[in-house]
Amino acid sequence: MVRRGLIREILVLLCLALLPALGQAFYFRDRISWRKPARQDEITVSQARSLTGTVMWLDARPDGEFAAGHIPGAKLLNAEHWDGLLPEVLNAWTPGQKVIVYCSKQSCDASHEVARRLREEANLKNVFVLEGGWEAWQESAK
Amino acid sequence: MKTKILELIAILVALALANTCRAGLKWEQTQIELHPEPGAATAVGTFKYKNTGDTLIHFKSITTSCGCTTAARKKDDVAPGEAGEITATFKVGASTGVQQKTVRVETDDAAAPVTVLALRAVIPQMLELRPSFVYWENSEPAKPKTIIVKAAKELHATSLKVTSSSNDFVTSVSSAAQNEFKIEVQPHDTAHSASAVLTVQPDSGGKPVYATARVVNPTISAQ
Repeated sequence: MVRRGLIREILVLLCLALLPALGQAFYFRDRISWRKPARQDEITVSQARSLTGTVMWLDARPDGEFAAGHIPGAKLLNAEHWDGLLPEVLNAWTPGQKVIVYCSKQSCDASHEVARRLREEANLKNVFVLEGGWEAWQESAK
Repeated sequence: MKTKILELIAILVALALANTCRAGLKWEQTQIELHPEPGAATAVGTFKYKNTGDTLIHFKSITTSCGCTTAARKKDDVAPGEAGEITATFKVGASTGVQQKTVRVETDDAAAPVTVLALRAVIPQMLELRPSFVYWENSEPAKPKTIIVKAAKELHATSLKVTSSSNDFVTSVSSAAQNEFKIEVQPHDTAHSASAVLTVQPDSGGKPVYATARVVNPTISAQ
């Protein structure tokens, strides 16, 4: 009798605890998580550093951020000046060379967009995006 | 026993009510899709909000996912019952296709300190080159390679003019289908390195697009 009462009490409490949870789930239904899962074409700094052969680094950030500092040897290629910058990049590229694009932070889509266009429009293979971007590179250099 | 259960019920109901009656910004929408006109310099989205709570809300920061997008607010504090908006502007530049940018809004609202607003812009491409880069390795025969150009029907292009920045390549244009053209690119030889920017201009006007042609000598171009 006591046990049955206890179970009923537990069930009632669980049902009531569900109310605020459902309210919160409804209220936050259209909020997007800020953190995104890693994408398939992403490469970590340590993986990038361990690559053999010559790697072409491409900086997808705005001109000013590139001028303030960038990965040694990196070339600038952003959407703002795509037409003007792309020929120089393609003239420096060699067949089979790995290309790594980076941006300013993990949430920045610019590097993914540059990588997509290089693959789809210029037909380049072996194009990757640096996970964590410029900040991850700087952190690894400390 | 009954009194205990009633007390617990009262506590849980109070908690549930406290959760739903808290201060907070209610957004009209957190995702916007834009379809700017061909050639538009910017795509602008407006995210409207209202403070449905009973305390003042302060914007701590508003950041965008890349340098190509800016976000502006008219006020730093939102009083209870007050409405407002955040304007997100995406600078189109040479971007094409579907562009997804985000705006991260941080407030002092303890219940929902961070809201991410998503701006999706579909940028029409008037001339699409596939591929926009053709190359020959120096051991390869100097045979022509093809670039297919798809023109948007709004462009009303009936022919294309292709100009090479270098005499090392010759080009020819032919019509492949309705609103589709074929550019054949051929180097004079593949014995030495060469490169050219090909400027593709539709006869109906509008912005030109560019392709790159190259004869690659790996021993010279490898860094």
